[in-house]
Amino acid sequence: MPDVTLVIDGQTVTVPAGTNLVDAARTAGVTIPVFCYHPKLKPVGMCRMCLVEVWTPKIDPATRQVVMGEDGKPVMALMMGKLQPGCVTPVSEGMEVRTTTPKVRFAQKGQLEFLLTSHPLDCPVCDKGGECPLQNLTMQFGPSTSRFDYADKIHFEKPVPLGDLIYLDRERCILCSRCVRFQDDIAGDPVLGFDNRGRAWEIISKSDPPFDSKFSGNTTDICPVGALTTADFRFKARVWELRPTPSICPHCPVGCTISLDMRYDRLMRVMPRENEYVNEIWICDKGRFGMRFIESPERLRHPLIRKGDTLTQATWDEAIALVAEKLRAIRTHAGATALGGLASPDLPNEDLYLFQKLFRQVLGSPNIDCCTGAPGAPEIIDLGATLGVGKGTNLANLGTGTAVLVVGADPEEEAPLYVLRLRGIVARGGDLTVINPYPTKLDRTPARVIHPRAGTEAFVALALIKVVIDEELVANEFVTRRVRGFDDLKARLREHSVASLCDVAEVAEDTVRAAAHAFARAEHGIIVYGRVALTIGADLLNALADLALLTGHIGKPNSGFIPLIPGANARGALDMGVRPGSGKKRGLSAREMWTAAREGRLRGMFIAGLDPVRDNPAVASALDALEFLVVQDIFLTETAQYANVVLPTASIAGREGTFTNAERRVQRFRQARIPEYNTPAGWDIAQRIARALMSGNREAVTSTDPTDGRTAQRPCVQTGTSTWDYVVASDVADEIATTIRGYTDTTYESLGLTRKPQWGRQPNEAIFYDGTSYENMEGVGVQIAAEADNPKAVFTLQARVPSPIPEDDAHPYILLAVPRAYDGRAWARDSKLLPRMIKPHLILSTVDAAALEATPGALVRIASDAGQAVLPVQIDRHLPRGLALIPDVNGAPLSAVQTSPLTRVAITLHISESVEIR
Amino acid sequence: MIGALFKGLGTTLRYLFRKPVTVEYPEVKRPVRERFRGRHQLKRFANGMERCIGCSLCAAACPADAILVVPAENDPAAPHSPGERYAERYEINMLRCIFCGYCEDACPTNAIVLEHQYELSFYDRQSSILTKDDLLVPPDKGHGEIPPILDQLNRRPSPPAQIDL
Repeated sequence: MPDVTLVIDGQTVTVPAGTNLVDAARTAGVTIPVFCYHPKLKPVGMCRMCLVEVWTPKIDPATRQVVMGEDGKPVMALMMGKLQPGCVTPVSEGMEVRTTTPKVRFAQKGQLEFLLTSHPLDCPVCDKGGECPLQNLTMQFGPSTSRFDYADKIHFEKPVPLGDLIYLDRERCILCSRCVRFQDDIAGDPVLGFDNRGRAWEIISKSDPPFDSKFSGNTTDICPVGALTTADFRFKARVWELRPTPSICPHCPVGCTISLDMRYDRLMRVMPRENEYVNEIWICDKGRFGMRFIESPERLRHPLIRKGDTLTQATWDEAIALVAEKLRAIRTHAGATALGGLASPDLPNEDLYLFQKLFRQVLGSPNIDCCTGAPGAPEIIDLGATLGVGKGTNLANLGTGTAVLVVGADPEEEAPLYVLRLRGIVARGGDLTVINPYPTKLDRTPARVIHPRAGTEAFVALALIKVVIDEELVANEFVTRRVRGFDDLKARLREHSVASLCDVAEVAEDTVRAAAHAFARAEHGIIVYGRVALTIGADLLNALADLALLTGHIGKPNSGFIPLIPGANARGALDMGVRPGSGKKRGLSAREMWTAAREGRLRGMFIAGLDPVRDNPAVASALDALEFLVVQDIFLTETAQYANVVLPTASIAGREGTFTNAERRVQRFRQARIPEYNTPAGWDIAQRIARALMSGNREAVTSTDPTDGRTAQRPCVQTGTSTWDYVVASDVADEIATTIRGYTDTTYESLGLTRKPQWGRQPNEAIFYDGTSYENMEGVGVQIAAEADNPKAVFTLQARVPSPIPEDDAHPYILLAVPRAYDGRAWARDSKLLPRMIKPHLILSTVDAAALEATPGALVRIASDAGQAVLPVQIDRHLPRGLALIPDVNGAPLSAVQTSPLTRVAITLHISESVEIR
Repeated sequence: MIGALFKGLGTTLRYLFRKPVTVEYPEVKRPVRERFRGRHQLKRFANGMERCIGCSLCAAACPADAILVVPAENDPAAPHSPGERYAERYEINMLRCIFCGYCEDACPTNAIVLEHQYELSFYDRQSSILTKDDLLVPPDKGHGEIPPILDQLNRRPSPPAQIDL
């Protein structure tokens, strides 16, 4: 866009055409006060706080020429003859803006006096007090007295619940509509609106249940007064008493940059921290309200050792010594391969790195995994490390020229912030295609929606490839340079047409063609895939990889894959090598470990942060067969009930570390308080076990040489990297930086160097951001490079046409386990979100429910080869026929019926009477 | 030299018959000035409600960091104070307090008042922390008035403090 030069309060500034006066003034360091305007929202000009004098060169109506004065300068005229709202007035050439004239000052004073006539004098009890734009602007621009009588103030009934999480105080509301516009434009949940008019004008919630949005907490942040407050923080503390600690949200692969606001050692609230690369200034309600578990009274406080049938309290020395002794004994009599370890993909990088180091180097066992191996859990297929979005990606800048494919993912449930990011891309002119077997919230954005028949998603991906090949949309230069096997792929697809592939998936051919055109012609192409795509498996992901390679959307910033693999730090777990195939020698996967344990080949296990018994109760028999089980967790989980030793660990508030998010951005979180009950961090537990193993009997400590699997009798401590003398988490991070590929720049020093002024922050930032989010003082993190970022990396096309899933008359339905954000797992303890947790149920289409004569709430029996389960029914009228969904929530009997990620089941009516689901 | 001795004794003799300036503390307690700043009290409204609304402004104003306020939400059926918020915990560490009276100035409801009690000694540090039970005046012991300083300055208290339900 062409630049426009104008004068603001005597300063000459040059800004892009179309910029409004408020933003233009910010670049010059001039403050124009605002209430309704927010840099992240579209301006509406409702509050009239930004009135300024705008002078423009006078134009002669006859000649359309600028009238020149006698001094040779243009004659200036006051625009419209009166003050103009700065937020909705675009800049123009030669304009002169005056923000400090007596006329403007008079308008600002009058506007504030007017706003305060109906604003209660609540500041001492208001939760916004201290970070309130109305307070700030009144102090800076307002009158010192009011002509209105205090007794004449209008009073409403005080807090009105706008939902179970957000309270509305109608007296305080200045009706700026920031919350309404956030819900409409940014979150895409238009659940708020205005009601009545005049003095009775008020904000209402239009949805049932009220304020049903996963982003509702953000409205309390951007509210410029204390009208919207959260149930979580109401009357907890005054904001100036809080100590904001930079942290990272541990709930999903987005890795939102957050702040834990502590008062002494208690968590008061969770607020977003600005990070344009990750979450801008937003966070979802799961991150905001789902952090109460760290102060739960049910937290484990002491190590527990099994004595007979009970777990009894023990000291750390006893517990660690016992763990070391037992693990050593098992290794001596059954070999190192009789030991296995499972670590949660929610743990920070430091924990995961030392966990695998403990197993690979000290114990000598390659059997480690980062999942529970439930029968329905999909195989982790990772395209992020190889074909992930290029280094330097920033979704916040993308718009026109960007095409996004969201395949087999429900971002709202798996990684809620991606909904806002993707909606932002669409709002800025990007193109979005959603390919998913069942409808998700993303369908409501202006997107191209493709609902293939469940299990045939790969055919849609192949159809996209076919369109790209047929219509010669292939990025030829890129393909010749970096892609192999193009001719083979063409040969494999020769006998298929776009129409035939679309027919298999039962999707409209022209939609697929349009999606292929948009994706291939876009400057930036991004593919987001999630849990359902993993469920479909390699056929789909290979085809998607080939699509990205053929169109050249690989190995450059803002193009490539964003995998939403379950687990907040799944990316880190894969990078740290917590997978059986990551080492030089392949070990047992989680699923194989259960078999091995039942057969007696696996004798000892160390499970950190995972709860396999919860996911799959059948695992209990395998755990019973073990000789020794160590569980490390923050709660006494179902798995911990089977443990010989339970080791409590610190939550993210009591320690520091790093997470790697879905876009491979490594971000650091800081310690917010002394560790709860003095529990050590996970990496420290691994270190203590390793030290005990090595110190006890140095000769007996053996290590399996990973190169040949031969057991050699030699002490473990040999090289510099094998010493276990980490004092603080940064020591572990330093070692990760030297040993893990791509993590070179992720030492804490390097992460700290990424501090720089953020986009939104300006000298007068308090006007816009006070109470909205915290300035990012800790750095935006480091994005590590994908393999494809190396210009010499060459990839082979692997897509092939799969055989469709055979029909099975005995089991006519395809069962999918679908992710849910509010799954009711351990993180939800003590949270205000508990009423929103989803109870186990089955979702059926209208047609299928009618055929079964099942009404909403009726109980149905789901039967497969594995077994059966009874669940209440919910009906989704947008769901295609033949598909049954079970949300993967706490208590869902998934392992009872699932034989594989994609299971065929039979469904019969069990009891027709209604059972309350929600 | 003898003369000087008698001169001195004479002064002693003269003072012997004057009214003494000292008092027999603790039997006799000297009255303090009206604006003396002694031990704090948390006042009530005339209807018995606590004046303190738990706003923590006293804690923010305190230069010695002697005050701790933990607020909570009033139960609308049985409120402690007018409005939505009240002080669930209110503690003053008298070892830290420097009796500057900033808390009094900061209080929007005139709830905290530095009263005339000056006998503040403790056997241990723990008992130097006065809790809300210690500080809050009993319901029948009157309620806070407009502080004399505002009277002298001819200023009215802030509107929340005017609420007298």
